[in-house]
Amino acid sequence: MFNRRNFLKTSALGAGSLVLPGFSAPLAGGAPKRFVFIRKSNGIRPNEVTPPTFTEEQKNLDKKKEAFEVDLDRHELPAWLQPIARHKANLSILQGLSCKMSENGHWSYSSVMGAFKSGRNSLSGIKRTTIDFEMAKLFPSPFGHVELSLTGNYSTFRTGIVSGYSAPGPHQRNYCYADPRTAYNELFKSVLNPDAVDSDNAMLEFLEGEESLKADLIQGYEKLKLSNHIESIDSIRARNKKLEKMSGTIARHLPKIAPIHDNGGPNASTPEKQKAMTDILTAALITGLTNVVTYTIDELSTPIKGIKGNEGDHISIHELGHNGGYSGVPADQIREKIRVGHMEQVNAIVEKLKATPEGNGTMFDNTVVMYFPENGEGHHSHGTEAPFIILSGEKSNLDMAGRYIRLPYHATAGHKTIGNWYTTLLNAYGNPIEHYGDFDIETARKKIDQTGAIKQFMRA
Amino acid sequence: MIFSHRKNLLTFCLGFLASGPGLSAAPEFSLTPRTTDLIENYCIDCHEDGSSKGGIRLDNLPGLSLDARLDLLNKMQEQLHFEEMPPRKKDQPAEEERAELISWISRELGKHNASKLEDKLRMPDYGNYVNHDKLFSGEYAHLKPFTPDRRWLISEFIFDAKFNKLLNHKPFQTIDGKREFVIGENNRRVNLTNPFLLPTNTGVRYYDTATLNGGHLLTMLTNAKNAAAYMTGHLAARDRNYLPSFNAIMAEEDRHNSILESRKRFLDNFIEPVLLELYGKKHQSLLPEFKQLSVTEAAETETKKAPFHAANPGKEELVIIFRSMRRLEKEGDTDAQLITRCEREWFYFGHNERKIQARVTFLRNYMEEWRQQIEQHKYDERNRRFDYKPLPESEMHIVGTTIRKHRKKGDRYQTIIEKCMTDWRQGFKQERKEAGPPAPELVAKLIEELFAKIYERKPTAKEIAKYQALTGNYLTSLGNLKGVQKLIQTLILQSEFVYRNEFGSGEPDEHGRRMLTPRDASYAISYALTDSSPDEELAKAAAEGRLNSREDYARQVIRLLKKRDQFYVIDEAVQRLNETASITDLPIRNLRFFREFFGYQKMLPIFKDRKRFGGDYDGSKGRLVGEADRLVEHFLKKDRNVFEELLTTEKFYVYHSGDNGHMTAASDRIRRIHEYFKDKDWQNFEKEDLLEHKEFLAEVKMRGVNVDELEKKGRRNPIREFKRALTSFAIRLDEGETGAAPYVSFPAHGKYNADTRTGRRLQSPEVAKFYNIQLDKWNYPGVQPAKVEHRKGMLTHPAWLIAHAQNTETDPVKRGKWIREKLLAGTIPDIPITVEAQIPEDHTRTLRHRLAGVTEEKYCWRCHQRMNPLGYAFEMFDDFGRFRTEEALEHPDNLIKKGPDKAEPHVDLRDTYKTLPVNSKGSLEGTGDDKLDGEVANALELADRLARSTRVRQSIIRHAFRFYMGRNERLTDSKTLIDADNAYVQSGGSFNAVVLSLLTSDSFLYRKAKPTS
Repeated sequence: MFNRRNFLKTSALGAGSLVLPGFSAPLAGGAPKRFVFIRKSNGIRPNEVTPPTFTEEQKNLDKKKEAFEVDLDRHELPAWLQPIARHKANLSILQGLSCKMSENGHWSYSSVMGAFKSGRNSLSGIKRTTIDFEMAKLFPSPFGHVELSLTGNYSTFRTGIVSGYSAPGPHQRNYCYADPRTAYNELFKSVLNPDAVDSDNAMLEFLEGEESLKADLIQGYEKLKLSNHIESIDSIRARNKKLEKMSGTIARHLPKIAPIHDNGGPNASTPEKQKAMTDILTAALITGLTNVVTYTIDELSTPIKGIKGNEGDHISIHELGHNGGYSGVPADQIREKIRVGHMEQVNAIVEKLKATPEGNGTMFDNTVVMYFPENGEGHHSHGTEAPFIILSGEKSNLDMAGRYIRLPYHATAGHKTIGNWYTTLLNAYGNPIEHYGDFDIETARKKIDQTGAIKQFMRA
Repeated sequence: MIFSHRKNLLTFCLGFLASGPGLSAAPEFSLTPRTTDLIENYCIDCHEDGSSKGGIRLDNLPGLSLDARLDLLNKMQEQLHFEEMPPRKKDQPAEEERAELISWISRELGKHNASKLEDKLRMPDYGNYVNHDKLFSGEYAHLKPFTPDRRWLISEFIFDAKFNKLLNHKPFQTIDGKREFVIGENNRRVNLTNPFLLPTNTGVRYYDTATLNGGHLLTMLTNAKNAAAYMTGHLAARDRNYLPSFNAIMAEEDRHNSILESRKRFLDNFIEPVLLELYGKKHQSLLPEFKQLSVTEAAETETKKAPFHAANPGKEELVIIFRSMRRLEKEGDTDAQLITRCEREWFYFGHNERKIQARVTFLRNYMEEWRQQIEQHKYDERNRRFDYKPLPESEMHIVGTTIRKHRKKGDRYQTIIEKCMTDWRQGFKQERKEAGPPAPELVAKLIEELFAKIYERKPTAKEIAKYQALTGNYLTSLGNLKGVQKLIQTLILQSEFVYRNEFGSGEPDEHGRRMLTPRDASYAISYALTDSSPDEELAKAAAEGRLNSREDYARQVIRLLKKRDQFYVIDEAVQRLNETASITDLPIRNLRFFREFFGYQKMLPIFKDRKRFGGDYDGSKGRLVGEADRLVEHFLKKDRNVFEELLTTEKFYVYHSGDNGHMTAASDRIRRIHEYFKDKDWQNFEKEDLLEHKEFLAEVKMRGVNVDELEKKGRRNPIREFKRALTSFAIRLDEGETGAAPYVSFPAHGKYNADTRTGRRLQSPEVAKFYNIQLDKWNYPGVQPAKVEHRKGMLTHPAWLIAHAQNTETDPVKRGKWIREKLLAGTIPDIPITVEAQIPEDHTRTLRHRLAGVTEEKYCWRCHQRMNPLGYAFEMFDDFGRFRTEEALEHPDNLIKKGPDKAEPHVDLRDTYKTLPVNSKGSLEGTGDDKLDGEVANALELADRLARSTRVRQSIIRHAFRFYMGRNERLTDSKTLIDADNAYVQSGGSFNAVVLSLLTSDSFLYRKAKPTS
């Protein structure tokens, strides 16, 4: 299924997985492209994203899971999607992708963004660089990639820098910022804590001196090893310098984080945490610190605290999946409220980027925001469906905005998997890989071709 | 034509020389008449204008730009060196002629330091390019072997072992019933990312050619920070001896912190009595006015209510709630009154409003469940009431004064406490500032301790001075704690930490070689056999001058090879899959050599279809790899004819823990139960019938059948469980089978299954399906490895076959390539860039047929003839490694019958397709032995012949050389290889003898400062 020529091309691109992220070389179109991946837990049920104004015929097709496409401007969005209704022209509701080759059930860990089975989150199960890191390679930035998460142990939130869900390479797990204050301090350190940066620089300078002394004593291949060590130190120093130079821009766009988030924010409510994360996420993009953000907005263990109508309740998302209600409010209603909260954040991201000029348009023009379930179509998912809510700017390389698209159902002719979708992203933005991710097994058994991008989404 | 070239070449050359006199530098390009002749005779026919084969022209060599010429010369050097050119069917130059031409090219490239060959020859892919016959002919045995002085980047395994040791990570496992410390389990408390991952190819993966790059360093930067924080935080605090000087530096701060902590603890618990004592009646008037929060009432609905465990506010909060309740509850109170009283207390304490709101909501909605929990989880015993005990008088005085200084009307308790704490904290800080920086001697001691921990050596006087200065700067600018952390980071990020040093020392011998320094030797030996730094005895030998001769090395190597008191985790991934035990007490690297050489573990990431497997594939794959490891371990422990055994064994482990006694007993137990009941009417048993066999049942213990509770209750149904188990046992034993695989009716139900050696449930009996064994017709052997039909050696082990197959088809090319390169020391060029390596889909033909169609054309066959005939022999197995005589043409058009989607483990879930007969005829060529080369009927015959081949044996020795030396062999290593080969033969096939020979060879002992080509 892979042919040699393409393999060489893609592996040449892939080989840089461990190379220090460089800096955006002046791109042909000027501005870099940006990607926001928002992972949510508990699945997205396919019928939840169906516009209520569908005709009987459309409803029928949707129910039978037959492929069709509709322009969204003629339809109303489901209630929970109302917060993003203003951006309908940028919106695609993508139905019918399957994710059976990643992990389903309750959790998928790294696997949903890598299209592999990760063997219950084992390190050696991480088979390849996840899609976000692949995209980050195409649009380098000082941080390369930023991962945020709001997760917990059911009663409290995780805080600090913790292990993440994305993978910078096979067998490697990324780290992520687990609370807004940590994310803020780490990302904007060059402005907030110049002393720490200075001491880092002093250390790097010392290290460089030490290795140079050793390198002077040797020759040949061995010298190369030390000169690589020195160059590596150099490249990190260069990155720090670059960040120093950016401090003006960073200072201008520094978000305001409320004191409630200090010390990990033990008293912050879930919506407060989400809002602060959104501010940080957009600032990281606007300052140019990164062009790719992966954000786990919730996970089954994320405590839900302080949502409207259930202010005093300590809600477990997992329990909602098993239909447990709180303070007399049924699970489905709370689930919907949580999703509405998510959409308010997605809207805030889009609004903020649309309000930030770039070139002759806005930053959002060059941005794609994806909101999707980590595990598939429900609380206990099988992975046959993984609805994606996608918002893409006008200069996006994808041709799909403003439409409700239902692709052929799992393991039928023309069916597409998350692997096809990620391949589409890669192909559309400059990585010619023939296919990203593992294949769907049932489709393979039926000998239905499942390689490559989703052609209809590629701009001609 | 020839003349004209000659003229061109010569003219250029003479012309250039003519301008030579007077120039001190070497001419840029010079061709001697002799080289011109050689090129004329052997190359120009095919490579001139008009006939430039492969796009290469040599007639215009002198006229090319420098870059183009160097490029072309590099190509020529490579082709000549690897004897790819002239093509075999053309006239070949004599060996001296070839050498002459190569040396001319080397000279020309050397002028510009532009030879790529030398670098290439270092790479793993080029290992086999050193001529095999020359290496073993003895003709070069007089050359003096050595390894260049080198730094060798640590491997992923050494990274883990190093950090585990540094960070005191000591994982234990229960192995064979005993608690054992294991190496290779890396679930650390600290979040570290391993940047030194080895390539994933089969064969030798760990070479000295890797160098650290920016990505590694960036990752190490974060690792160093995390490690430093953990060392100075968790570890130094727990163990005063971990870094005593650090604790001394921090002593004053620690003392201050403990005072602060004790005051805070005291105030948190007793601020109310303290305030009452200080302010008396006035206290009440200083409190803020209590405002009750409005908390939404739960709506009365039919909604399912979330259970207690999913709605409580967390352990810590529950304790706070419990304490307040116990403190405040009064006889006759209603719940509502109690809740309000609690709320008032929390309000005065100044707890966060939301927390209070959550507690109140929780108490209102879950009081009943909560009271049950209090009882059930013994909250009263676990959280005893704090009895008021004042601090020492001097402390009470300070506390009292500070509270008076800061308390304002309306302050809640937490505000008062925080104000006091800030006051004290600042005071202490000032005190420390006035005391000045730590003494230089203390800093020097810290540096010594850190060197011992991180580099495992003493610092030199010069190093101490240098690091004292650096540490001084760090401490001034960052403070003591962060300053020391920075120092730790600095040490971890140096090349000394991430590279292993292997340098010679002392006087060079007559060949310019020096022996490894004893310290470097101790690491070289230890890292050859394990991933850890030298054990105590080895380190001591190095320090005490007992690592200076070949005999010294031998003594240590022999000791380490025999060592069996340390367990290693072979593969964490295998361990994670269905709790498979993946452990060994062999020196881990010996087992890893064969594991990676065969590469069977590479089956794990291949994503395969459970339906096509016909059972639980994902559950079984870990067991399959684990049992392949166990088989390798078995032969390594026997250490007789190791290569031959591995290549031809007919005995395998199938669903076996490795403990013969335990497995036999587990299997016998099932037979015993079956025997006992088989002639009874158990299918119609009721509770009373079962009770008649109470004693027997109590003795044998069956899952879900507790003789004291035989009645049905809720989900418990003992009669059903009993019948289910007996049905399953009957299926396995009713046709006179001599033994049953020891699992309960459902493999996941493990309690009365056999155990793994690590005391976990032995799962996945469906591993038998890889061997065409039907679970319901299996004479299960308790003693293993045991004979399995249609198998011979590791190359017929299903794990190897899957690792060397595609997702849905076999792969004769991959299998053939493996044999050519790993066993026959052969080479296969890279696939030309113009080739689309794809086998056409066609569901009317076998894979072999389709493959032959695209690879047996003349152009392709040149390379494929070195692979396909070897790989074809394995067509007797499918892509799951199952023996077959017919190949299923899996395509919906060929479907005959659909298999069930779900069933008990013994049932085959596969769909049935039309088939075609399999052709597994192949041929062996390249052993250098006429008796062995020739056609083979199938893989079994091939395995037999391979095992008898000298070349195969030597090829494995060559790979072992690479594995233990971390580099490719050169002709100068000829003696080392011959010695290792002899050691194997003379010891009756001992692999330990090979390792000993290699690790006491000149190639291992001797180093040269400057590598020579």
